[in-house]
Amino acid sequence: MSIRLLALIPVAAAISLALSAAVDAVALPLFLDTTGTILATALAGPGVGIATGVVTSAVNTLRNPTFWPFVVVQIIVALYAWAAARAGLFRSFRTAVPAGLGLGVIASVTSTPISYLVFGCTTTGGIALTTALGKALGLPPLGACFFGSFVSDFGDKAVTFALVTSVLHALPRRTAARFPWALRAIGAA
Amino acid sequence: MNSLTLERVSFWYPATEAPALRDVSLEVAQGEIVALVGAVGAGASTVLLAAGDLAPRLTGGRIVGTVSRRERSAIVLPTPWTQVSGLAFTVWDEVAFGPANLGWPTHEIARQVDRALEHLELGPLATRDPATLSGGELQRVIIAATLAMDSGLVLFDEPAAELDAEGARKLWRLIRVLAKEGKAVLLATSALDALPDVADRLVWLEDGAVRAVGTPELLADVAACDAGLGTSVATVWGASGLPGPYPLTVAHAVRRWR
Amino acid sequence: MTGRRLHPFTLLAIAGALPALAWILPAPAGGACTAAVALVLTASRGLRRGLWPAVLTAAPFWVFLRLLHDVPTTIAIGLRITTMVASFVWLAATLAPDRLVEATVARGWSVTAAYLFAATITAVPMLRGRARRIVEAQRCRGLSPRGSLGNRLRALRALALPLVLSALHDVDERALALETRGMVSGARRTPLAPPPDSAVERAARWALLVACVAALIWRLK
Repeated sequence: MSIRLLALIPVAAAISLALSAAVDAVALPLFLDTTGTILATALAGPGVGIATGVVTSAVNTLRNPTFWPFVVVQIIVALYAWAAARAGLFRSFRTAVPAGLGLGVIASVTSTPISYLVFGCTTTGGIALTTALGKALGLPPLGACFFGSFVSDFGDKAVTFALVTSVLHALPRRTAARFPWALRAIGAA
Repeated sequence: MNSLTLERVSFWYPATEAPALRDVSLEVAQGEIVALVGAVGAGASTVLLAAGDLAPRLTGGRIVGTVSRRERSAIVLPTPWTQVSGLAFTVWDEVAFGPANLGWPTHEIARQVDRALEHLELGPLATRDPATLSGGELQRVIIAATLAMDSGLVLFDEPAAELDAEGARKLWRLIRVLAKEGKAVLLATSALDALPDVADRLVWLEDGAVRAVGTPELLADVAACDAGLGTSVATVWGASGLPGPYPLTVAHAVRRWR
Repeated sequence: MTGRRLHPFTLLAIAGALPALAWILPAPAGGACTAAVALVLTASRGLRRGLWPAVLTAAPFWVFLRLLHDVPTTIAIGLRITTMVASFVWLAATLAPDRLVEATVARGWSVTAAYLFAATITAVPMLRGRARRIVEAQRCRGLSPRGSLGNRLRALRALALPLVLSALHDVDERALALETRGMVSGARRTPLAPPPDSAVERAARWALLVACVAALIWRLK
């Protein structure tokens, strides 16, 4: 792995973990904890993205032990972001936001079994309450669990994709040219 | 004997039309201190990156001309917080990072690290976590870490940027010590007032090309002062309308006055 | 038994084996045993750093589990979660990243994975500090958590974009610095302070692995 990619991964992972300050300041119910993973993938490909996702989960686990089982989700996110980058979906909000919504669905689908099997759908208070609501509405257990994960993931991933799109377009050409995938991701190569 | 030779080097950063360096030639001999001066964007940092085999290898881009190095080189960049290894949780370990990577035996590492810490007066900080240091302290740690690698060619990019006046004075003294030890030093700095006492030779860069080469007396030239590259004394002398040639330092001015 | 002097790999092995066993072994006895062991470990780190955070993190799960499930399921899942939480809290309080790096180097393994982990740990507080400063600066310009969704999203962008861009700019400089300090010199990195490893600990790590595999095979039968 080139030394530049080696330098990118910790920074990208730290971005995911540091954005919570920004999110708190605007009082939005978002996590943005896959921002670094998606950005790293769009810049340097799936290998770097997966490494970023794993490192993000590992370091996050030190703070909150319940994150570790969801490392699988970070890996899926990286793979999805790779497909999106290959298709140049980061070229505008019009393509990025729907792609993000799509990821929201896939992320919830991936995290639901983990949430169900490991946590009995109590991953967070929010998910537990929405699951209870789902159950009350008559959904089967797995469906109620998906409902809970979906509500939080859907918007989060769309916003993340939009944010990564903004970043990629704001990169000076000289910097973007040094990352193997950046120009392709915004449809400029 | 030249530790570093740049011969007619031109360099383009990736995805840029205009060259960052145009036909630059310079040499640095063992035990010599050469200073690069110029306006922001003149290309001094790029010269250092090319000299340290970092451009185009790491930065990407295209290079024309030859860069020949007789020694291993090490570079100190202007922003200390990006040069921290990330692997070390004490200052001692941070300084030892480079030598450890080179696979040196433990006693040699200890010798180089202790020597570097002493040079930079970092003894009291040896057990501190680099994350808790001030910008100036961290810059000294990075310089120590670079020195510990015992390279024959040392490159400095604005090394005094984060240092206070006393710290900067000590740094210039240290750079002279390095040259006396036989190292070749190439340094880019905007601390022009220090250069008459530090640099053996000066290279004036403008828009990526060499405009002039000379001794530090260059900083008292009318042309240099007009370009904003004169020492404070020379600039003030010239601005007050006093006749040339402008004095380089306070000592020169005093002699002129008498 | 504070664990402070145990080899980092042993710490990882324990923190990995306890949750694994909690899931493999039959509930509730299996979970109860592993949770007990994990809680004892966290208690050994003291009340403030060990037991209290573990209990505080695990407690809400029990409440929500009871909301969604019957008592036996609550106990079964609750004990597993408690084991996992307590194990990782203990690990976080005990594992020194530099010792982990040194252990990896002493083994002769590539320092890459250890670097990525350690460098992220050091980068997070720095970026968080930068994020806070950006937030403060924007607050002076009238940023507020009130307003329409659109406004708040725009504000988020105004906060996040400078943070991410400056971090990416740093990547270039970091790469230059790593290169010049010999990070990929090709030479085998000298261990500076390798944590001592004993035959007992090595045997214990293997034993934990064997125990997990054996338990898994036994459960699958």
